[in-house]
Amino acid sequence: MGTIITVTSGKGGVGKSTTTANLAVGLANLGKKVVAIDFDIGLRNLDMILGLENRIVYDVVDVMEERCNLSQALINDKKAKSLYFLPASQTNDKDILDRTKVEKLLLSLKTDFDIVLIDSPAGIESGFEHSIFLADRALIVSTPDVSSVRDADRVIGIIDAKSEKAKKGEEVEKHVIINRIKPEMVKSGNMLSTEDVLGILALPLIGVVPDDEEIIGSTNMGEPIINREKSIAAESYRRISRRILGEEIEFLDISAKKGFFGAIKGIFK
Amino acid sequence: MSFISSFFGKKKSSASVAKDRLTIMLSHERADCKLPYLDDLRKDLIDVIKKYTSVDDIKITTHNNQSVDILEVEILLGKK
Repeated sequence: MGTIITVTSGKGGVGKSTTTANLAVGLANLGKKVVAIDFDIGLRNLDMILGLENRIVYDVVDVMEERCNLSQALINDKKAKSLYFLPASQTNDKDILDRTKVEKLLLSLKTDFDIVLIDSPAGIESGFEHSIFLADRALIVSTPDVSSVRDADRVIGIIDAKSEKAKKGEEVEKHVIINRIKPEMVKSGNMLSTEDVLGILALPLIGVVPDDEEIIGSTNMGEPIINREKSIAAESYRRISRRILGEEIEFLDISAKKGFFGAIKGIFK
Repeated sequence: MSFISSFFGKKKSSASVAKDRLTIMLSHERADCKLPYLDDLRKDLIDVIKKYTSVDDIKITTHNNQSVDILEVEILLGKK
């Protein structure tokens, strides 16, 4: 039986889909059989980040409405052979998901895959509820700014109220991913630090992803950055993937390091 | 450094202002959503009080005082 992990945030634009794409590839690279599902009905995006948009024939709603088989809708990743992707539907009807059908689909995926990674839509409406109610674990993505942290806090409060696990008296395992942190700004006191955010959200950290301009390029290309050897964001995602599987990995030291260019700038200061 | 700068009355960093604002804001918001049973409790209380007198409404407010959570129940009695 696999594990359902939902990537969520409350606020939009904090990097949920980018995180989902990279962790999906990361977990598959570690030998896990992974399916990444885009639950953002009407606003499909994970396909482009994964670079699989041209191979979509059927989507998640087609599967649920039994217009096709699950295997017809699943798209195998180009590089990571144990990664499959199930795209969101581009319908305008955002209430199209039906709870019992979602449940049926997720439970069948859970038997076929080691990890079912769900990219939740922003907000706390029905789409979010569908993406969280069967989750075994939740990864809450937050950028270090007041709106994102506030919304993350709100979502954390709602997760247990909406999840089946909590109804059974168990708890959804929750971890925080702090995204797009800028170490120089934290140092100068102009950005909330990792410790600040964790102090407020009161949840364990599973990773910090520093702001990395290379991500824009990798999204442009439809190639998740995690495959780039030298990127610092890629290294963060690789470490988060290992931590998800229970390995104890040191946190990447992003605070002190100036990096190669930083060091050069330092010389000329 | 923060000690020295506060000594000389230098402005607080924007990050620490953000942290303080968030902490205050969330302590209010959390108190509200932490108690999912508030609506049910309200209905039950009304039923109980109705046994003795007429009641118009019950207002329940939550406060978070350091480590203690306080429920404040205000019962508006109906006109006789």
